[in-house]
Amino acid sequence: MPSERALRAVSATIAVLGIGVATYITIADSGGGAPACVAGGHGCATVASSSYSHIAGINVAVFGIAGYVLLLAAAALPGDAGRFGGLLLALVGFGFSAYLTYLELFVIHAICQWCVASAVLMTLLLVVNATRTFAHAGAELALGTPASSADRL
Amino acid sequence: MASRKEQKERLRAERLAREAREQSRERRQRLVQYGSAAAFLAIAVVVVLIVVSQSGGGSGGSGTQDASLIEKQLRGIPQHGTVLGDPQAKVTVVEFGDLQCPVCQEFSVQTAPGLISDVVRKGTASYEFRQYTIIGPQSTDAAKAALAAGEQNRYWNFIELFYRNQGTENSGYVTDSFLESIARGAGVPDIAKWNRDRRSSKWDAELAKVQRETQALGINATPTIMVEGPGGNRVVGAGVLPLTQIESAIQSVE
Repeated sequence: MPSERALRAVSATIAVLGIGVATYITIADSGGGAPACVAGGHGCATVASSSYSHIAGINVAVFGIAGYVLLLAAAALPGDAGRFGGLLLALVGFGFSAYLTYLELFVIHAICQWCVASAVLMTLLLVVNATRTFAHAGAELALGTPASSADRL
Repeated sequence: MASRKEQKERLRAERLAREAREQSRERRQRLVQYGSAAAFLAIAVVVVLIVVSQSGGGSGGSGTQDASLIEKQLRGIPQHGTVLGDPQAKVTVVEFGDLQCPVCQEFSVQTAPGLISDVVRKGTASYEFRQYTIIGPQSTDAAKAALAAGEQNRYWNFIELFYRNQGTENSGYVTDSFLESIARGAGVPDIAKWNRDRRSSKWDAELAKVQRETQALGINATPTIMVEGPGGNRVVGAGVLPLTQIESAIQSVE
């Protein structure tokens, strides 16, 4: 079982990558045009111009930026607040990413590589945050000393 | 002495073991309680997000569904009458379409975004929509309304927005107020002029010309895509063609 410090570091790194991807999608979409597909794909424009790409007029990727920033904060937060907060955020992020991926595959019939990248990152964040929570929840309840020296940060 | 020391150590060991079990139990309880709360909260938030997402997405009909998405898609690309893109482009992708046609709508949401973003925006080809009105009488009303929007260089906003709000073909939904809501959503600046222009008789000659052209080319379905270039022209095909097929045709006539 990895130490909590390692899990928090991994979570923070993935969250930073997620901020990068979501920011790129937002910027590419805002200036007219669409995120650029690499390697000859064409799905990005179709997905970006579909009705589902925005909620209340705001690009869905903006919600992604907010989610990843909060996940970065949860990784920085020690104790049960960071663990359960991170788990909640990762569950929401994963659930909504799964819904958006379902839309791409079965409703929009086009795949945007950048959306897929974000969905993969969210899935990884769920795995890491769930591991952090299940392995280390309540560690501070140990009387006197922390359950493992790695929890001290 | 020895046995009392042993006894004390044994009692201490038992106490530590009890405390460890207590801690373990408390940790499990905490995990179950807070973990379940997190799971329920997460499900609630995701459901709310999905409901809000669905209310914005799905079917249109309100007249201005997706107006800002279309505006974004076309922003910065020149429009001259029925042509989108660089008028000096060597190749033109011509779409023969009917605004009431559901397969044309499919093409508009499926292939056109990539065509506009990856081909037209880059100047590789321009994109022209020729009104091939075959579905019914209201197709002509829609076509003239679109052509009138083209007089103010909002033809493409009008067409794309029309498709996003398309109703059932020949159901009678193409009313004056529907067309006006599309024109407004498309950003046609002078609605009074647009209303005059769309009632002009000059469009009859335009539409008749398209009918003759399609007959000569053996076209009888919408949408049909033709690629015109200095190297000749080529009818690519009908239906929701993938962009890769259109790109090959562009390369072959360049």
